[in-house]
Amino acid sequence: MSATNDSSELEALFDSIASDYQVVPAPAPVVPPVVVDTDGDSDGLQALFDSVAAETAAQTVAAGGAEIAAAGDEWPKQEAVFNKIGHMARVLHDTLGQLGYDKLIEKAVSSLPDAKDRLAYVANLTEQAACRVLNATDIANPLVEDMSSRSKALGSDWDKAFANQLSTEQFRQLAVDTRVFLNQQLPEKTQATHAQLTEIMMAQDFQDLTGQVIKKIVVLAQELESSLMSLLLEVVPETKRTEELNSLMNGPVVNAEGRADVVVNQEQVDDLLDSLGF
Amino acid sequence: MAGDPKTRFLVVDDFSTMRRIVRNLLKELGFTNVDEAEDGAIALQKLQGGGFEFVVTDWNMPNMDGLTLLQTIRATPTLKHLPVLMITAEAKKENIIAAAQAGASGYIVKPFTAGTLSEKLNKIFEKLGQA
Repeated sequence: MSATNDSSELEALFDSIASDYQVVPAPAPVVPPVVVDTDGDSDGLQALFDSVAAETAAQTVAAGGAEIAAAGDEWPKQEAVFNKIGHMARVLHDTLGQLGYDKLIEKAVSSLPDAKDRLAYVANLTEQAACRVLNATDIANPLVEDMSSRSKALGSDWDKAFANQLSTEQFRQLAVDTRVFLNQQLPEKTQATHAQLTEIMMAQDFQDLTGQVIKKIVVLAQELESSLMSLLLEVVPETKRTEELNSLMNGPVVNAEGRADVVVNQEQVDDLLDSLGF
Repeated sequence: MAGDPKTRFLVVDDFSTMRRIVRNLLKELGFTNVDEAEDGAIALQKLQGGGFEFVVTDWNMPNMDGLTLLQTIRATPTLKHLPVLMITAEAKKENIIAAAQAGASGYIVKPFTAGTLSEKLNKIFEKLGQA
């Protein structure tokens, strides 16, 4: 919806700029509005314009632009630059339009904010899930440890009973303790542990939701990639295309296939370090 | 030689989940004296406060990354003896080489297992024992 508005607005803007600069007849004393509203940047921009303009003006003069040459030195040079920039923008705009990239890129770019929200949602859900699981193991671990230590204690008491080391009273107490353990403590603790296992299982429900969201983002990334790629191929010189990003902070290797510069497991890390003598 | 159970660890990672996992694994291995920091800068502050005997750090973190932390530790006279184990998702060979050259005591790639952590810790403690 906004895509069409944008491009027609842009079109109008380009047209107005193009016609503006064609209409201005270059009266030297009149200070053009563009120059008036420049501020701190003007010096740098001025220098840039001047250098480009000198070149352009030379061409224009050579081509026989008598009226421009006669009208003075400052503004006509800039006018030529503005004309040229306007023309370039026009050509770029038209080319993009003809190739259909503008629509593709607009579509991809307009879905980026949505993708950011989706990714934030994924980060949020996975973090919650990780916390739920860690909380559950924090609760379940002591339960299991307690069951383990209780049964070990009872077991060693029973060993004593079998070795005839217990008095009748101690044996009676052991029987009572064992009964309580089997009938009450053990079922209570296994039930509580089971509840935590269920919690861990339920915490995996994020997978369904994040899976759907991520699939959508993958599609978006593919669209964005293909439209930007075809645009880049038009613009980037061949020699620049193979330059690799060289960084030490790349995060996890998502696809190691066909890559010789990464390790895929701990063994390879160890082998590499060994081979280097560390 | 296994490490002293009283060894004081500093676990440095920007993700609380990973800090919690490493802390739990260390606890299972018998090390309960564990503090956490969420990036290299905070870690360095805590280390300079003194009392730590072992650093387990991630690589990619805001403010100060793990490699810079490692380099800073090795360049600081009061800290340079500390064993530093890196646990990171960075799996490029040049990462591993850079970490080794900077003086890392061990390098574990994520995802990792409890067994790997235990093995690397033992190896580091062994070396410390020999020194």
